[in-house]
Amino acid sequence: MSNKAVEEGVPYSLHCFINEGEESIKTAPSTRLLTILRDELKLTGTKRSCDIGRCGACMVLIDGKAVNSCLAMAYQCSGKHITSIEGVALQGIDYIQQAFLEEGGFQCGYCTPGMIVSVKALLDDNSEPTDDEIAEALSGNICRCTGYGGIWRAVKQAVERKRQLLAMEQKEELI
Amino acid sequence: MLLNRASSGERWRIRPDGPDKVTGGLAYLTDMSVDHMLYGLVLRSEHPHARIKSIHTDRAKQLKGVHAVLTYLDVPGLNAFGIAHPDQPVLCEERVRYVGDALAAIAADSLAVAQLAAGLIEIEYEVLEVVDDPERALLPDSQQLHPKGNALHRTAFCRGDVEAGFKQCIHIIEDIYYTPRQMHTYMETEGGLFVPGEDGRLTVYSPTQHGFMDRMQLARILAVPQAGIRIVSSPIGGSFGGKDELNVQPYGALLAIHTGKPIKMHNSRWESVRAGLKRHPMKIAMKTGTDAAGRLLAHQVSILSDTGPYSTLGAEVLNFATEHVIGPYRYLHLDVNGVSVFTNNGMSGEFRGFGGNQAVFALEGQMDRLAEKLGMDPWTFRKLNMRAVDDLGPFDQPIVMTHGADHVWAAVAGCPLWQERNRLETTMDEKAEPWIKTGIGAAFTMHGAGLGVGIPDPAGGRLKLAEDGKIEAVFGYEEFGQGLLAALEQMLIEQFDFASEDIRMIIGDTDIVPDSGSTTASRATAMMWKSLQRLKKPFSDQLLQRAAASVDRPVEQLRLGKGGIKGADGDELLLTYKELAAAAGTPIICETSFSFPTSSTSRVGAHFMYTYSAVVVKVEVNTLTGRAKVLQQYHAVAAGPVVNPQGYLGQIEGGSSMALGFALLEESVMDKGHYIARNLDTYLVPTIEDQRGLIEVEAIEHLPEEDDYGPRGVGEVGSVTVAPAIAAAIRQACGKWVTKLPVEPSLLQEMPFFLRKG
Ligand code: FES
Ligand code: FES
Repeated sequence: MSNKAVEEGVPYSLHCFINEGEESIKTAPSTRLLTILRDELKLTGTKRSCDIGRCGACMVLIDGKAVNSCLAMAYQCSGKHITSIEGVALQGIDYIQQAFLEEGGFQCGYCTPGMIVSVKALLDDNSEPTDDEIAEALSGNICRCTGYGGIWRAVKQAVERKRQLLAMEQKEELI
Repeated sequence: MLLNRASSGERWRIRPDGPDKVTGGLAYLTDMSVDHMLYGLVLRSEHPHARIKSIHTDRAKQLKGVHAVLTYLDVPGLNAFGIAHPDQPVLCEERVRYVGDALAAIAADSLAVAQLAAGLIEIEYEVLEVVDDPERALLPDSQQLHPKGNALHRTAFCRGDVEAGFKQCIHIIEDIYYTPRQMHTYMETEGGLFVPGEDGRLTVYSPTQHGFMDRMQLARILAVPQAGIRIVSSPIGGSFGGKDELNVQPYGALLAIHTGKPIKMHNSRWESVRAGLKRHPMKIAMKTGTDAAGRLLAHQVSILSDTGPYSTLGAEVLNFATEHVIGPYRYLHLDVNGVSVFTNNGMSGEFRGFGGNQAVFALEGQMDRLAEKLGMDPWTFRKLNMRAVDDLGPFDQPIVMTHGADHVWAAVAGCPLWQERNRLETTMDEKAEPWIKTGIGAAFTMHGAGLGVGIPDPAGGRLKLAEDGKIEAVFGYEEFGQGLLAALEQMLIEQFDFASEDIRMIIGDTDIVPDSGSTTASRATAMMWKSLQRLKKPFSDQLLQRAAASVDRPVEQLRLGKGGIKGADGDELLLTYKELAAAAGTPIICETSFSFPTSSTSRVGAHFMYTYSAVVVKVEVNTLTGRAKVLQQYHAVAAGPVVNPQGYLGQIEGGSSMALGFALLEESVMDKGHYIARNLDTYLVPTIEDQRGLIEVEAIEHLPEEDDYGPRGVGEVGSVTVAPAIAAAIRQACGKWVTKLPVEPSLLQEMPFFLRKG
């Protein structure tokens, strides 16, 4: 829809960083980030489901924090670093994604990108979350398929992997 | 076998569609777009019931950026759709019957312009009385929604003389059970891309559970031959039965044909709510009686089902419910009646469990009440009355004999959670807050698979050695998350000894796949298994014969293996599949087609194959808030061999979560034909917080030796017994009988002891 914005001479230009690349996008200041990602940039890994910040399918990281991209408007993203699911997998499948694969943390997969982004935000910030913290961090992500059993298993495995990764890093530092 | 990663060993595999799903790389059909596409939008009714006096679209058509505004006048063929009985208008002509009814379809340069245009369409209505109560709808003075009246379908089944039966009963229980209008809430709302080709053909990329059925219906609407349409139908971001009927397809197709341009459609959540199917709300009245020893003598049931404005599968769902209110128990006298009623409420339709959930909630409720009245353990009571191995099915029809019922019953009786129940009755948890009460309950079902007698239920598939050496497995089934591809891959690997790299699976494209019937009714895995059984010998023989000629060895000394043909007694690769494909000869293709096995009865809808299952749940009731929380679940499922452990477990867990919503949270409340909840802020489905308890799944794989029907479906059974088990657990926890779902907190709330007057 930003083509239309351009036609109508909307003067807003969004500068931000998306999945490490610098972007400059002509759009209206109130265009939603979800629309920009999916319709403009064709980054369709970010999913659309409720449009009101309730389901978490559209979750992305903005400066490392999990944000519903259906609620974030273009002007709020100015200068920010945005990571979508495509950005999480830039270096290949990461440990959280691997844990979802191995534990069966998804079925149709439509909630999965948002779910993984939320887990990433949690584990980047808190590498040893309690069950309460996990539930809180993911309570904004609805999955209709898995019954959450697989998701619990995946998050637990990811926490364990993270612990191992941190231990390895520490070891390397010592050497 | 307790199903989990450890017990599954190497059979616990990463799904073939997994990597693309976790990286966001998988393009769902609603993710697709092409250059120069237009956006499609449907204008729907303002009223649940009204006569249409006029529709004016001129102003909308004149808006800049609008390419088409279509009404019923622009539908070239049949202006109606519906799998069983096409009575839902594509675009309404004279009358609207619910708030999802479509009046116009718009194509525009952008969604914003399409929305603007929708606002410019002028419709004059004469508002009619809303028929929103199915009981009232049946009264003679009610407004009639269809020429044949407001009863879509009636069912009846009798055995013996129920009145005489009740006269002999010592114990009789009578209750009325109500179940909610539940929403599928698939995360991907309906939509897709509709592309007219230069060759005059239309390609439809839109999720559905049965591509060939869509193709047939769209051809009828567009008045074109079926060959002029190609349906691409997978992958799907969840369906649960909700995308089996056409949804946006007629509009996308019409707009694409009219404009000659690709059309993108993607429903907003509100659009999906108002137009989409829901689980049939039912009112089930039951009267059941036993003799002094607890043997069931008489069972009388009447089912009232609110089917909404059009037929969809309302009759079939009622047939299923009618069968499942009888269930796995023996009665001398039986009298069951059902009626499915048209109303101006939302569309009811197919939903995981297919009427079984409603039926089993009521039936199992009766079993618990009778057991209690008799002072018997509820599980012992069930055993006393349960079918024997060689008993006929619920409709007295011959069914496939298994020991499923016995095995499931025994698994539950012996499981630690059920044994804990007996201790709970005598001990109170002293550590718990006084307002927290705990209970354990269980419920049982025999759940029919396949569409049943009298409904075409084709199955089949194809194996082919492709030119590039890949083994192509081609099926007309759809992947909507249930793990169909994973199950297929696993079967190919285990039955043929192919490596996953040897295989190419092709589904969901009517131009390529054979019609294997609908992906529904827990039938796809069973039908793929059966197809592979039938294909295994002819296909392997052909591959080996070709290989024998190539490597100049007798066929008996060769076998199929990972990567290619191997020596029968070694692991040495003699010929890769690619080399085999290149070897001269006719192409190697094997195809099979057959029908889902049915019972030899004339009773429409009666089933032949069943999955048996039961669940035990532990529930905590907070009597201050009135909220019930499920702490633990144990599912015993007798469905034959486990094809894919991860998928099996996931289906039971997922189905159980959906049933937890059905029992405790979900209801699409309607007020005079209008939905109150429009989105996921007010329609609540379970979140991770609701599912923190342990779920154990016991897979009972045993089948009689001569049984060659193979694995039964598990797509639905996880969702069927959870609600009655929760109701039973609530009864144990706080003494209240639940008759209406979802459980209302006010039912469970109690005055705190410190506020009670002395
Ligand atoms: S689409 Fe953004 S939270 Fe649902
Ligand atoms: S996997 Fe389908 S919604 Fe989560």
